[in-house]
Amino acid sequence: MPSDLDLQIEQLIRCEPISEEQVKRLCLKAREILIEEGNVQVVDSPVTICGDIHGQFWDLMELFKVGGPCPSTSYLFMGDFVDRGFYSVETFLLLLAYKVRYPERITLIRGNHESRQITQVYGFYDECQRKYGSANVWRYCCEVFDYLALGAIVDGTVFCVHGGLSPNLTGIDQIRAIDRKQEVPHDGPMCDLLWSDPDDIQGWGLSPRGAGFLFGGDITKAFVHNNALSLIARAHQLAMEGYKLMFERTIVTVWSAPNYCYRCGNVASILELDENLAQEYKVFQHAPADVRSIPAKRPPAEYFL
Amino acid sequence: MHASRQPFGSSRPPQDSDEPIRLTDSDAALARLSAVQKHYLADPFIRHFVPRAHLQSARPPLINIGTYVRSESIDWLVNTWIDMSKAEGKKCQIVSLGAGSDTRFWRIAASHRIADVAKYIELDFPEITTKKAMVIRKSKDIGGMLSNITVGSGGTTLHSDVYNLLATDLRHPPSSSLSPPLLNMLDKSLPTLLLFECVLVYMTPSASSSVIQWFVDYFDDSAPLGGIVYEMFGLEDSFGKVMKNNLMMRNVELPGAEPYPTKESLLQRFLAHRFTSAQALTLREIRNAYVPRGELERISHLEMLDEIEELNLVLDHYAITWGFKGQDGDGQWTNWGLQKEATVG
Repeated sequence: MPSDLDLQIEQLIRCEPISEEQVKRLCLKAREILIEEGNVQVVDSPVTICGDIHGQFWDLMELFKVGGPCPSTSYLFMGDFVDRGFYSVETFLLLLAYKVRYPERITLIRGNHESRQITQVYGFYDECQRKYGSANVWRYCCEVFDYLALGAIVDGTVFCVHGGLSPNLTGIDQIRAIDRKQEVPHDGPMCDLLWSDPDDIQGWGLSPRGAGFLFGGDITKAFVHNNALSLIARAHQLAMEGYKLMFERTIVTVWSAPNYCYRCGNVASILELDENLAQEYKVFQHAPADVRSIPAKRPPAEYFL
Repeated sequence: MHASRQPFGSSRPPQDSDEPIRLTDSDAALARLSAVQKHYLADPFIRHFVPRAHLQSARPPLINIGTYVRSESIDWLVNTWIDMSKAEGKKCQIVSLGAGSDTRFWRIAASHRIADVAKYIELDFPEITTKKAMVIRKSKDIGGMLSNITVGSGGTTLHSDVYNLLATDLRHPPSSSLSPPLLNMLDKSLPTLLLFECVLVYMTPSASSSVIQWFVDYFDDSAPLGGIVYEMFGLEDSFGKVMKNNLMMRNVELPGAEPYPTKESLLQRFLAHRFTSAQALTLREIRNAYVPRGELERISHLEMLDEIEELNLVLDHYAITWGFKGQDGDGQWTNWGLQKEATVG
């Protein structure tokens, strides 16, 4: 007989939200699991690395078609599960239900949108209010956000993080010393890991996002060398072709939200690392625009008209 | 022949096919209101033109930033046009086509520059001018800034000493869409600026050409003539295709974008009509190099921006094009245009 959790997964996979009480219990269980994980969670290959999802639930279903179902495929999601898309609730709760059901087969790390402040601006808070009539579900989810790992390392040599590097962190061991169980701060190393971007500059630069930093190829190569890494995988930035390798393949941006915001016209990708850490990028398109992918009364994509 | 079937079994009367285009003006007004509420822009007048303004929710940061760049840039071009006319000892005329709920006239009227404007004329669909005329008459703050207001044509037009609001359909031949409403309105010898903000893109290229050519033919060759076009372009790429599809779902088509796949092609908008010079900049270029650092710094603190690539992608597909038609020796006018790091203020 399927467990309650299996039934919830079945329900969520149809893009139907579970009850508030079920969310509360799911989030409690998730916290028990996440609290045991390190700031930099250790992951074994083979694993499939995914970038931003942003509530594009039906596009996440496309991702699972391309990458294979969970738990047959082991997944590592690099944050930004919520905001912007129409189905942040279903998207995050499904990934969280997988995490509780198959904790060894899926790793979730924190993105800059897994934050109380950002979700109140970019849609997740409003979506919870709309779908549950109160902010309780949003509050339960935010408590889970505080427990998410800040990064992951695959076979000791592929460092995965949502945003990028910090001028205050030269080694991965320093990340392990951060007290992560808090709202994302406005500055400092924890903020930088979630907000920074690689850029074609030397050294460090100010970020136009208002948080984190820009870091150049020299910084990236030094970090890779000093920590005996083969690759830094990160998400956080729209890549029109689904992924973007930079700085002699020392860093890659993986972007997994096709036609981002139902407006950008980009493709998405996932990065499959095999047991030898050979990289294969699988590119995929957005879900067909049938009745399921977008609500009938969806707000139109925003343009200047 | 098989029996035809109504795909959408609705008993509602068929929607007026221009309604979706007119609704784009509500989008623009809401975006402007949002940018004002979030302190990107100062505009005490916009709230009068948005129904239930205090209940409207803010637009996303990306829309606020784009609205800011668009608005400040066009303000700068208009204001320098007025200033250059004054430097020649002349008043100027401004004609805003498809003006919608634009507040520019009132912002000028609240400044010293109003003394240098001979006529300010707005043209739009009668459904839009009727509503605007009603707002102007009802609001002391708005109507009180005009002198000698008269309303005509069943409430679709409004005249005053400087400001005039006229109803038309710019897609019709200018002999019927422009000549009758503008009869005796414009002085053929004065420096005149034409504004086209998100209007030509909704028209066929040939209808747009006819409108611009009508103004070129109307004015004396010795009178400086300027034009500003702001709209989307370069819609042949994947972003543009998605935009066209998304707008199609709102029943909005963009036939006017077709001749303009690149920034360079935008110049032909004016150069094909005997304008002596034309330039174009994307909103991304303007934001990157024409907005002063201090202003960029100020607006970066107003809201957290989560996605710079997306912002650049959107701003890459909107441009401001300006053209000038004058004569040799028009000295100062050749400098009319956006200036790096000076476009605001």
